[in-house]
Amino acid sequence: MTALAPTTRPASPELDPRDPVLRVGALLDPGTVVPLRPADSSGVYAARGRVDGTPVVVYCTDAGRMGGAMGTEGCRHIVDAIDTAVRERCPVLGLWHSGGARLAEGVEALHAVGQVFAAMVRASGRVPQISVVLGAAAGGAAYGPALTDVVVLAPAGRVFVTGPDVVRSVTGEHIDQEQLGGAEAHGRKSGVVHVVAASEADAFARARRLTGLLGRPGLFDPAAVRDEPELRALLPDRPQRAYDIRPVVCGVVDGGSFEELQPRWAPNLVTGLGRLGGRAVGVLANNPLRKGGCLDSLAAEKAARFVRMCDAFGVPLLVLVDVPGYLPGVDQEWGGVVRRGAKLLHAFGEAVVPRVTLVLRKSYGGAYIAMNARSLGATAVFAWPEAEVAVMGARAAVGVLHRRALAAAPEDEREALLARLVAEHERVAGGVGRALEIGVVDAVIEPRHTRRVVAEALAAAPAGRGHHGNIPL
Amino acid sequence: MAEEIRAELVANVWRVVARPGTAVHTGDTVVILESMKMEIPVLTETDGRLVRLAVNEGDVVREGDLIAVVE
Repeated sequence: MTALAPTTRPASPELDPRDPVLRVGALLDPGTVVPLRPADSSGVYAARGRVDGTPVVVYCTDAGRMGGAMGTEGCRHIVDAIDTAVRERCPVLGLWHSGGARLAEGVEALHAVGQVFAAMVRASGRVPQISVVLGAAAGGAAYGPALTDVVVLAPAGRVFVTGPDVVRSVTGEHIDQEQLGGAEAHGRKSGVVHVVAASEADAFARARRLTGLLGRPGLFDPAAVRDEPELRALLPDRPQRAYDIRPVVCGVVDGGSFEELQPRWAPNLVTGLGRLGGRAVGVLANNPLRKGGCLDSLAAEKAARFVRMCDAFGVPLLVLVDVPGYLPGVDQEWGGVVRRGAKLLHAFGEAVVPRVTLVLRKSYGGAYIAMNARSLGATAVFAWPEAEVAVMGARAAVGVLHRRALAAAPEDEREALLARLVAEHERVAGGVGRALEIGVVDAVIEPRHTRRVVAEALAAAPAGRGHHGNIPL
Repeated sequence: MAEEIRAELVANVWRVVARPGTAVHTGDTVVILESMKMEIPVLTETDGRLVRLAVNEGDVVREGDLIAVVE
């Protein structure tokens, strides 16, 4: 709260919990809120303040005024807030609770909402933009958050272009607001939301953590990075057994620092921000527990946008690879896995931020390239001792290479022949020997040294930052 | 509320681990699928009772097929 709080509303012990002054006060460091302009009836409140000491700009729609609907004046305040953040090179946070454009203002309101979108696009990739959806965010108020880098959803948050009434009248589908645009819809089905929070306070806390990771990157201190002796033990002994990659990710980054984005959408690929040796890093990792860790259309799109966001903000990348390939299937092909997978190739190929790849177990085929291979410009590529880099697994390769010999062999000898050919193939083409010889893998490292080796490689690379926006791919 | 556990990809049902009618906890393995030359455990995402098991060992499941229901 601040001395410059709006005076148009009487101070009452029963303040509306949706009051934007309260909400902004709850988000920012206590005592740091300074409104950008005196209170008015625009339905938007904007302020400067700090998040763990980092200067930020915040705007918040006022749900207590016409349901937070966006009119000309309110939109101008949002545009000013975003432009201010760009000028001052600080993160900008948006708190959303709005039914969309003000109907009474007609096309003028539409024009104004479009100007908000344009301001977001101007700021894209220049300053981190973080949205917190606290209530309904409909129509224009849905596309606002979607144009920003990260969307956090509070339990009462709902995001949709058209609400349940319109859906019912047009399509006959009966659905409520929560089912249409709540946590399950956007956290799991659509991927619109990056973080589903447990409460409004949790939503603010998560937004603050993400603001710190993107807005205050910090410096690498490789000397402070301790070995993590238990990392290898997080993988199963049997190489064909799937496992959850997330404990490995959490073991590689600094303890308790990992903030996963879009955890339940395209969960076969984990993305998130954390710190390594104190420096903010972006982590991408195949998750064998889900779809075997295969890349598919959604995972490639999720990864591509994450890579481009990190590149735009100069956040170095760590890519943990355990991938059997791209997911085969008619649905995948017709769903555009070629077009969407190409986004990931493009994102890595264009990224100038330091980016280190570590192959944990296997990396096969086209997915090997897509997971930040040397050919796409990886800063360094490391492998754990049991890792294998190949076009495909030995058994599958032998099946293709020796198809005729296998078919010609008597049935009772076929299995023995196959085993012999697989053993031969593994001796010649298995592991990472050939990849080391031609320089596409730099070194095999002991799992317990992973943190130190990766931190040193990232710190040694020249800091880069891509000059591009963060288009919502 | 019931949690429907569905297959995420085409796979063979390699092992059925959980038994219908028994209590399960978040992260328990219900079945192990075999696909992409890997053994992929299918886990519950909620505590409850396994009220239905819709597959047998050796079955082929396609993406979206029901595997089990936890209540």
